[in-house]
Amino acid sequence: MTDHHEDDPLRRLGLEPADLDGHTIEELGDYLDAGRTPRIPAIEESPGCQLALDALERLRGLGTALMDEEAASAPPVDERWVARILSGIAMDAQAGRRIPFASDDPDVDLAITEGAVRGLVRAAEEAVPGVLVGRCRLDGDVTEPGAPVRVAIDVSVRLGDPLRRVADRLRAEVEDRLRRHTDLRVAAIDVAITDVREGA
Amino acid sequence: MAADRWGEALEHAGDRIVAGRAMDGDVAAFAVLVRRYTPIMRAYTQRMLNASAEVDDIVQDAFVTAWQRFGELEDPAKVKSWLMRIVSRKAVDRLRLTRPALDVDELDRPAPPQTRPDAVVEARAGVAALGAALRELPEAQRECWVLRELGGYSYEEIAEELGIPVSTVRGLLSRARRFLITRMEAWR
Repeated sequence: MTDHHEDDPLRRLGLEPADLDGHTIEELGDYLDAGRTPRIPAIEESPGCQLALDALERLRGLGTALMDEEAASAPPVDERWVARILSGIAMDAQAGRRIPFASDDPDVDLAITEGAVRGLVRAAEEAVPGVLVGRCRLDGDVTEPGAPVRVAIDVSVRLGDPLRRVADRLRAEVEDRLRRHTDLRVAAIDVAITDVREGA
Repeated sequence: MAADRWGEALEHAGDRIVAGRAMDGDVAAFAVLVRRYTPIMRAYTQRMLNASAEVDDIVQDAFVTAWQRFGELEDPAKVKSWLMRIVSRKAVDRLRLTRPALDVDELDRPAPPQTRPDAVVEARAGVAALGAALRELPEAQRECWVLRELGGYSYEEIAEELGIPVSTVRGLLSRARRFLITRMEAWR
């Protein structure tokens, strides 16, 4: 089987049932998965099982460490790689719902996409230094003109920025932009600061 | 330039913000995710396939799928594990394409060693030893082990992904663990 090794390592390292007081590696794996509860005294009091459990636990931790180390030691991601991926995606994939403009003329059918409205909301960050807008949700029936809509925004701020003032300024800015560029009846704008970042 | 300032701010922001923007259609934020998670997605795919030839295609395909399916990501803070699931699925698809059925009865014969002998000698640290031992693991065992320990799949999910019974998954995982532990011990 492992003919290029001088001896049988499985036997030498004691992972056979004979070395584990009759237990198997499979059983010990399940026991670890269960968080070693309920406690099985026959396993806990077997020196052979203890060695095997230690080895299994070590192995488990190493898997994550291996991934992290390989990712960390990889060269920085090549910008040509990023460009290659971006060139393969459809720009309108996140267009979302169609939001009509109110009109008295039945022959006029004007609308804006949900994605474009979220873009408007995002652009409000330009007026509030340090703010980065995350996800923006429009809760309510935006396809129905005049229906109340709640706008929920995740926001990142710089460490040390005054949270309340930043949130208030952003809320005012978003409200102003939505009023100027859409017919949405904005019932509320909820700003959630979910991220505080260092640096830029 | 203003664009640079936003770019730098995005690089510093957490996943919830960056993935939240990408979900909303912001390409610059999506590019940040590509930079942030390409290395780990490549490393995972490489371990899964035990070969590098198709890794880039699979990772690219995974990102394109992610962009199309952002609507299915419920919590942007969990974008990393979501991306890992997508790339893992792509890797399994590739395995199925090149190999109709998994040979679960394969002997515990190591895969042909791909490491230079001196590289094995150098592999003293646990992580390096694991990396070398994984390369020698028979393929059915390797795939089960990678899905379980690197991908965080349950036994049932692995069975479904690989199209084999749960009992077979359990057996393969035990053999994989025995193999890895003994190989790594032998190099100590």
